[in-house]
Amino acid sequence: MIYLACLSLWTSTAFGITSDWTFKNFETIFSEPVYLRALLRTLRIAALTTLLSLLAAFPIALFLSRARARTKAVLVMLIFLPFWTSYVVRSFLWLPMLGRNGLINQGLMALGVTDAPVDWLLYNEGAIYVGLVYVYMLFMTLPIYQSLDRLDAKLIEAAGDLGATPLQVFQRVIIPLSLPGVSSGCTMVFLLSCGAYVTPQLLGGASGLMMGNVIATQFQNSNNWALGAALSIVLVAVVLLALVFAARRLGLMNIFMGAR
Amino acid sequence: MYVYALLFYAFLYVPIIVLVLLSFNDAQVMGFPLKGFTLRWYGEAFSGGRFMVAIGNSLLIGVASAILGTLLGLSVCMGLRYRLPGRGVLIPLLLLPIITPGIVAGVILFVFFGSAGVRYGLWPAVLVAHVTWVLPFAFLTLYPRLHRFDQSLEEAAMDLGATPFVVFRRVVFPLIRPGVVATFLFAFTLSFDEFIRTLFLVGSQRTMPVQLWILIQEEVAPFLPAVGVVIMIFTVSAAALGFVVSSRAGRLVARSEAGRPLVNN
Repeated sequence: MIYLACLSLWTSTAFGITSDWTFKNFETIFSEPVYLRALLRTLRIAALTTLLSLLAAFPIALFLSRARARTKAVLVMLIFLPFWTSYVVRSFLWLPMLGRNGLINQGLMALGVTDAPVDWLLYNEGAIYVGLVYVYMLFMTLPIYQSLDRLDAKLIEAAGDLGATPLQVFQRVIIPLSLPGVSSGCTMVFLLSCGAYVTPQLLGGASGLMMGNVIATQFQNSNNWALGAALSIVLVAVVLLALVFAARRLGLMNIFMGAR
Repeated sequence: MYVYALLFYAFLYVPIIVLVLLSFNDAQVMGFPLKGFTLRWYGEAFSGGRFMVAIGNSLLIGVASAILGTLLGLSVCMGLRYRLPGRGVLIPLLLLPIITPGIVAGVILFVFFGSAGVRYGLWPAVLVAHVTWVLPFAFLTLYPRLHRFDQSLEEAAMDLGATPFVVFRRVVFPLIRPGVVATFLFAFTLSFDEFIRTLFLVGSQRTMPVQLWILIQEEVAPFLPAVGVVIMIFTVSAAALGFVVSSRAGRLVARSEAGRPLVNN
């Protein structure tokens, strides 16, 4: 209760600070191309990250749900394990992978594919995608796996007995029944990616600035709290909009419980 | 399918293996090729005491926010089992900190403490931030356990003349204890790992992730992998412990649901 009271107080404090300036700051955001571009870039990166994670996670979730009980337990455990550590560390992991002296560059050079390390692996949008997909993979894999795991194998057999081809089984049985997990996973990954700060800061270089980084700059360097607060509110509005949209279809608890 | 699974697990684990390898690599530059084995970077990471202070801070904040978060989570759960007016609004409000982007939560608290004149630092700014961050997760872990809990046990104890406090201590708590322990450990790892809110609020003090971040920003130093490995060991072991406890708790609850008497003295 005390906590809830505090929470409402904090939110209103943030609003209070911005309220005197509301128009000016929001005007700046929507008239200055820098901020608008950061917002659009954030939405694009979040959407594409969600799509990439979905494509990467779906087959593995299907594979896990079909595995034998003993193997399944171990494999699911192995999916969890990397996510028990800080996302700072998880993002940092990709520096020694993609960097000039990183595994990929040195590997390519050792194989004779290139003579000099390639620079385009790191500090661009591509690196952000790799990082974000890696950092938030669990939030996609787990709910899809849970949906598929609950799916009764008899349904698939029945469809087969009724003459459905494997492709038809996949389209008509597996995909529809996995949808709750898919939507829960997509919502979580999209929300988390929208608020990303660490990964783009570490891996994205100057080209990859997302809303999170722009907001942080307002408070750390530019010292423009009001603008930073306005930017934060825009970001929250985006996130809430996405959440309301998802909660309409899924139910709020399902998103969170599926994602845990 | 098997090939894909192999690739997927490689994607998850190769970066971690690389980090561990590099933490022992005897070279001035962080990266390949590997030049020999050394423990120097672990020594260097811990020298000067900065890291010990940061680890100590992280541990203290982690334990403190795990205790507070679990206690608050427990009391909210107990309260929400009854049909309170506005319950439908309370749960989404409670979950709000999860979906609030970390950067925004950091900003909100930064502005709040700033205008309230509270000094930035571990106590109380970071502690408050961590408790608000941990609480919804504590709630989510505890709520299903208490929700499934057979209330007739409580009623029976009340009928036998137990005061509410005795009911909680002798009946409710023993049944949910494994869940509470698991929640505590989970909350601890969340707090120990928390970075972005802390970065805004910590002032000149340091927690482990913040220290790592500042070092990464300064320069890509050769001892960074060792620091990363140390952080990983801490959080993974706490989380693994939580996992074991909570799976055991799951079995206990299942047993009590099967109608076997679990309440003992």
